[in-house]
Amino acid sequence: MPQELEQPAAFEPQIRMDEEPGAGEIIRLTTAEVLETMFFTEAEPAACEHAWLPSAPCARVRFEGSHFGEMLLAVSAEAADPIAASFLGLDPMELTDPQRGQMIQELTNILCGAMLSKLWPESRLAIGSPELMPWPDWSGNGALHRCFATPEGMLAISIRLLAASRPVGPGA
Amino acid sequence: MAYSVLIVDDSPVMRTFIRRVLALSGFEVGECTEASNGEEALAQLRARAVDIILTDINMPVMNGEELLRKLGADGILKTTPAVVISTDATNERILKMIALGAEGYMSKPFTPESLREELERILGERDASRTGTTSGV
Repeated sequence: MPQELEQPAAFEPQIRMDEEPGAGEIIRLTTAEVLETMFFTEAEPAACEHAWLPSAPCARVRFEGSHFGEMLLAVSAEAADPIAASFLGLDPMELTDPQRGQMIQELTNILCGAMLSKLWPESRLAIGSPELMPWPDWSGNGALHRCFATPEGMLAISIRLLAASRPVGPGA
Repeated sequence: MAYSVLIVDDSPVMRTFIRRVLALSGFEVGECTEASNGEEALAQLRARAVDIILTDINMPVMNGEELLRKLGADGILKTTPAVVISTDATNERILKMIALGAEGYMSKPFTPESLREELERILGERDASRTGTTSGV
């Protein structure tokens, strides 16, 4: 699991992720690859209809180094159990609350690491520990946002860059 | 031949997932044990050797980098191959972990087949060097 990172010093957009060349396509391809190879399901781009978001398990992870920012992942309530069960090789009825939360955190960590490595392969980045939280409103902050449909339910991903200057941590 | 494997990761769900992937891959696993950080891993390895170690990087108490340093400095354990499993696929990180002694690096996401191929490559080279034959890599 990743390390703890300090609270960001400022929340002004450094550069707009929604204007980063190729970032939307990298999110799409990475999400599909991660869900297929490690969670044994499919993810297709979907229209953003966010009525499900307030009740969805959500995690945020921060990263710092040559780029500084954060990523959010929400998994719709109906999708969380089957995806976690598939990841762990369990029956959905066997899942515990901690396992469900840890799966959301692990999926957030894997998606963030894979996306950053594809966006900036020559970068030096430290990824923090994902934390469970309600989905926040990042509208108007330069965040890049995408929704995906899986056979089990919906996923939402947002990623944004923040203004900050701080020494890079030891690991990612 | 069935190999003994030590999985080192502070995330219980990730340890369970790696066990699942090993089973799905067809890689022949004999005994599979787990540790939640590098310190636990070293204690287990000093009590009982394994054929290969699969380790995360960021863990509390002792991280994967320090674990690799300790393994490399141990006259007995330095022959046990270690594979790093991480979300970080940046070139700098991969080169650093290889320089510290990792014999393989799996960046997430990875398939069961790719994990099996990596383990078989590493263990094939080790077995070949022990018997004096040439690896088929």
